[in-house]
Amino acid sequence: MISFSQVTKRYPGGHEALNSVTLVIEQGELVFLTGHSGAGKSTLLKLIAAIERPTSGVVSVSGQNISRLSRRAVPYLRRNIGLVFQDHKLLFDRSVIENVVLPLDIAGFDRREALKRARAVIDKVGLLNREKANPVSLSGGEQQRLCIARALVSRPALLLADEPTGNLDAGYAADIMAMFRDFHQVGTTLVIATHDDRALNALGGRILHLDHGKVGEVTA
Amino acid sequence: MIGWLRHQKHALTSALRRLARQPVSTLLTALAMGVAISLPSGLYLGLDNLSRLAGELPAQPEISVFLDPAASGADKQAIATRLKRPDIAQARFVPKDDALAALSVSQDLADISAGLAENPLPDAWVVQPRTRSREALARVADELGKLPGVAETHLDSQWAERLQAALTIGHTGVWLLAGLFAIALVAISGNAIRAQVLARRDEIQVSRLIGATDRYIRRPFLYLGALQGLLGGLAAGGVLAAAGTLLRPQVERLAGLYGSAFHLAPPSTSEIAVVLGLTTLFGWLGAWLSVTRTLHQVEATR
Repeated sequence: MISFSQVTKRYPGGHEALNSVTLVIEQGELVFLTGHSGAGKSTLLKLIAAIERPTSGVVSVSGQNISRLSRRAVPYLRRNIGLVFQDHKLLFDRSVIENVVLPLDIAGFDRREALKRARAVIDKVGLLNREKANPVSLSGGEQQRLCIARALVSRPALLLADEPTGNLDAGYAADIMAMFRDFHQVGTTLVIATHDDRALNALGGRILHLDHGKVGEVTA
Repeated sequence: MIGWLRHQKHALTSALRRLARQPVSTLLTALAMGVAISLPSGLYLGLDNLSRLAGELPAQPEISVFLDPAASGADKQAIATRLKRPDIAQARFVPKDDALAALSVSQDLADISAGLAENPLPDAWVVQPRTRSREALARVADELGKLPGVAETHLDSQWAERLQAALTIGHTGVWLLAGLFAIALVAISGNAIRAQVLARRDEIQVSRLIGATDRYIRRPFLYLGALQGLLGGLAAGGVLAAAGTLLRPQVERLAGLYGSAFHLAPPSTSEIAVVLGLTTLFGWLGAWLSVTRTLHQVEATR
């Protein structure tokens, strides 16, 4: 599903985030990216979602070469990828349900069908009673669950999460990791960047360790 | 196709909601546009009315040839023969009775003319020479004036010709002004939309991350610009209607003093439609330029 071949990413200014990384992630896998902050975890996720382009090497997602992907094709790639951000990136000018409906609006779904689906996903992340609330009024854990709901509402085959439990206390973190396990079990490919050891131990799965832009496999 | 329509509807409603959410700035922008548009369209309307006034007068230069009341039948015959020569395009005899009748109708002087013991007006010829140049006209008028039995000649409609020339300049001026204010309209719309784009930066970035195309992002702003332009056009209509209401009785009074039934004509439906269409188009254009430029900036500062 995802393959990196000799991928190097250098940012303007010379900082090298990834150095000749080669890896393959199969469909349906659950993969954790670990490593200290600045090791290149976020960069790796951004390359998969075509938010950044590699300086050299080939990144391929679902058979598409990201470096050669035209500007026009990027949105269609992203519609098949669910993104979960550490800072949630929610929109505070609209309600919980409107935040979740947004990806379906963008994809041109019928409004009623979109609301139905959004409600189902909000129910799944346990926010159904907050449907009309403004995201500002949600706790950090609830905001993260809302972000996950938005990432999942278009039923992507691939979910990328950048430090999804970064700012959460243990109880919330365990909740969210349990949710990820459920998605993994229904066949979604998950790539989760985290430095949270609790998560790793709870879920199992494959662990890729990043250190100064180099990647290494860790056997648990 | 259905998805496309759905997107249009979604963009339109979101643009409408945005306008309604900021009524004051919407109103101010519409007013700024309205004032800008009302200048060229007001001038156009004024000129339109002026040329209607000029159109009721002979645009073709004419020479009135007034006959001496004492002219003999032979003189009259000679004059009629002279007026059949090829340098005269058209000549129309106006007997003095007809002239008096026309005068009393058009100037509402029936009571005065009825009080006259005899018709004070002379017989006349209204002559349209073939030439249009001023010197040649003067020469023909001079020649006709020297014929026996002719009391006086009068070279008419010189002023009408001049008015026509002035109106032509005026029309060119309207188009120039309209062009300038169209640019102003694009600038006003672009500026308003730029502020909107920057205010919605987060939404744009998030939308991009979850698969929005440039078109999806641009669309509500384009509708916003078009609607803003339409509102500007309506505001201009309001300004002109107010000006018309103020001016109409005064113009009619002035026309009445000159014995004319002239009145200010409002713009036609198609003229209104054209103005609204153009303001909508230019609002849209301003939005397009501004969104395209600003989106590139938003992208660069990601």
